[in-house]
Order: sequence, then C-alpha cells, then structure tokens
Amino acid sequence: MGLLSILRKLKSTPDQEVRILLLGLDNGGKTTLLKQLASEDISHITPTQGFNIKSVQSQGFKLNVWDIGGQRKIRPYWRNYFENTDLLIYVIDSADRKRFEETGQELAELLDEEKLSGVPVLIFANKQDLLTAAPASEIAEGLNLHTIRDRVWQIQPCSALTSEGVQDGMNWVCKSVNAKRK
Amino acid sequence: MMLGFIYQFLHSSFLWFWMKWFLRQVTGKCELQRICHGYQPGAARTSRIENSLKSSKNKVLQDAVNVQEDAVESCVTHIMKEKQIKEQKDPKFKVNLRQCLVQISGYNALFLSVEEQRKEVFDSDNEAHEKMLLKLWDLLMPSVELESRITKQWGNIGFQGDDPKTDFRGMGMLGLVNLVFFSEKYTATARHVLSHANHPSLGYSYAIVGINLTEMAYSLLRSGALKPHFYNTVAGKPHIDHFHQLYCYLAYEFDKFWVEEKPASIMEFNIYREKFHDKVKGFLLEPEVSLVLKIESKNCPDD
Repeated sequence: MGLLSILRKLKSTPDQEVRILLLGLDNGGKTTLLKQLASEDISHITPTQGFNIKSVQSQGFKLNVWDIGGQRKIRPYWRNYFENTDLLIYVIDSADRKRFEETGQELAELLDEEKLSGVPVLIFANKQDLLTAAPASEIAEGLNLHTIRDRVWQIQPCSALTSEGVQDGMNWVCKSVNAKRK
Repeated sequence: MMLGFIYQFLHSSFLWFWMKWFLRQVTGKCELQRICHGYQPGAARTSRIENSLKSSKNKVLQDAVNVQEDAVESCVTHIMKEKQIKEQKDPKFKVNLRQCLVQISGYNALFLSVEEQRKEVFDSDNEAHEKMLLKLWDLLMPSVELESRITKQWGNIGFQGDDPKTDFRGMGMLGLVNLVFFSEKYTATARHVLSHANHPSLGYSYAIVGINLTEMAYSLLRSGALKPHFYNTVAGKPHIDHFHQLYCYLAYEFDKFWVEEKPASIMEFNIYREKFHDKVKGFLLEPEVSLVLKIESKNCPDD
C-alpha cells in the first residue's frame, strides 16, 4: 500500500463509533471506571441515579460508554439500553463476596437477552486493590464463565481506583470490536 | 451596555492605574474606601473588595484575600498603613473593611470544615456514625421500625441496597449529616419530599439523590460560586450549619423542580439535575442572591 492510499484511508475512516454498555450491581465501581477512562477526577463520586455517558477516544475508536445505575430498583431499565450495543462491560466488586450470587444471576440474565446475543463481554473483577478481593480466577469459576460459548469473553482483574488493569481490559475491548467489525 | 464595555476596557488596561490615581487625587480616597463608602454591605461590597484586593499590585493587599480569621485585625491595620488611610478621616472604613475580611476568610474556613466532613468516611464501627444513620431512619419513618441494621427497608428512604454505608462514597459523612440536618430541622417538609420521591411513577431515590445534591452544594462551594450567597446571608463568619441550610434549600427546591418538570422516568435524572444546576448557577450570578429555604405553607403546614 502506497503512502497516498494510506493517507486516503486515514482520511476516509474517521473514528468509528462504538457503543459500550457498562453494567453491574450498585457499588461495583462503574462510574469510577468511566471517569478513569475519561481521565477525570474520581474523588467526589456519588451513587448513579439514572445513567452517565461519556465518549472516550481509543485506538482509532470513539467509545461511547453508557454507565447505567446498578441499584435493584433501576435494573429493569437496563434493557432500554441494549439496542445496538457493540460490547458489554460487566463490573464486579471482587471484595463483596456476599453478593457474588446476585451478581452472577444478573450476568446470566444479561447473557440470555436476545438483544445482546453474540455481543462480546468483558468482565472487570474490580477492586483488586482491596486485601479481601477475590482473585479473578476464583470469580470466573464461581460464575461458570467457561460455559459461555455463544460469544467471546474475557475476565480482567483491575482496580478502577488505581487504574491498574483498566488499560489491559480496554485493549481487549478494541481488539474484540475490531475482530467483530471485519 | 456601553458603559459596561468602557468599564471593562478601563479595568483591564493600564489606564485603570491612572484612573484610580486620578480618583484618589479628586476624592482623597483609595479604591477600597470608595467601595466601602459606595456599596451596601453584602456581596455588593465584599465581592468588590475581594476583587480589588486580588488585583492589587501591593503584596499586603493581595495576601489579604487568604487571611486567617485570627489575623484579620492586624491585616486591617496593615492595609490602612500601606494605603495611608487615617482612621480619624474615615472612621467607618476600618469596621467595614474588617467585616469584609471576616466574610472572605470565613468563606475559606467554611470550605475547609466542609471538606473535613466530606473526607470523613462513614464507618460502621463508629458508634456516632451508626447512631446518626439510625436517627435518619427514625426521623423519616417514625411509624416503621427498622427490622435489622442490614435490610431491604433502607430502599424505602432511597438508599440503593441493604446497607446504606456504600452509598456515601465521595461525600462521606457530609452526605449523611446533610440528610439528617434536613430531616431534623424541617421534619414535615423532609417527609413531604420523601413522599414525592416514593411516588410510583414520578419518584426518585430520596437518599441517593440527596447525596447527589450534597455533591452539588459541595462543588458550588469549592468553585467559589456560593460566595455571593454567603456574603449576602451571613454578616460574619459562616458556620458549617449555614452550609447544611443551603443543602436544605437545594433538597427542597430540587424536589419542587422535579415535580413540576415531570420527567418521563428516573433514568432522566442527570438531565434534570443539570437543568436544576444551571438554574441555581443563574441565581448565583445575581448580586442580590440569597438561597434561603422558603417553605410554601400549602406544602407543609406544620413546619
């Protein structure tokens, strides 16, 4: 490919828009993750009533990330945001063992949704900075992730607070979206 | 409009220096004296004094905007000496300047104490914290007993899950203190607002929306946007209760706004929060602003 055609290609493909849904139980760290992705201050976060949305540029993509509140009362609204989703990020508080069952159920229900069929899913095993956090492998086992066969998936240990592991997860996101679009 | 433009131009240019010099020769007074003389106490005077001090080339005057409360007296003396102002010639000046500096330093001190309370994390092992949380329940739900400390019932006053402790997050104890303050000082009003929040279709989560409004109050304080409000409503040094009072105003007014606007669902919260935020910021641009809770008696007859 000559230089000119590369330039032409660059010019003709403005950032591709990607719709990402950020879901999980309340207090999982979705908003902290969203703000971390957008390089914003994370010290004054409050519980999400409704949703937040931010656009982040990454590796030639314009990621439109929808962070939907996780409290039980508004989970019925999640489905209103499923349409045209390119990728699902599911956030788990790795230190909140008492709610592993609940979070597993919610995830299983999401994976059963017709509108989300085949949509790649990244599971962030968040809060790895806490001493009591369960390792990602334990969570993967507990959630029976190995039984997922209808889509690509990945579990990524991270700390939205320190941002450790977040970039690795986002690299997987871009890779998966690329593969899906080809 | 035109005058404002000319004023802006003069103020931003070197001409301002000569303008002030000229005025000083004619009136025998410096800018600080002219402000104290020409404007009513409150934001009109204090904000102008603050701007004048900030843009001064004199280090003593510049530093005065960061003066500590206990150093106000000596700061006033210092400024008068620098500007060669004779107390006998303008006896009121000293009192007026002192009051402005008390308000200016008071605002900064208020932010520090609010920040301290925000940084205090809600801790279940802290008896005082736990007691305050239970008090919030009792104030809002006097006829319903809490079955246990960890229970779904917390959802009835708008927390997200079984244990409210995770909902305070970035606002820490400031969020809880605000909620309790409103319920304690304006009990009937708070319960009335809660009844709106629990409306099956128009409702919202009372407690976490409250914590969101604490964040709004906090960031308005931090940016300095609340200065005119406090300069107009508190003559001396503001107390942290004055901040909690402002929270009450926001909690009451937001509810009213929400009910009037009738959003399609709770998912629209952030859109209406921003609309409300803009409205409040608009009020704060008015020189006479005073965000004081005024309860319409038809809403809450017994408060």
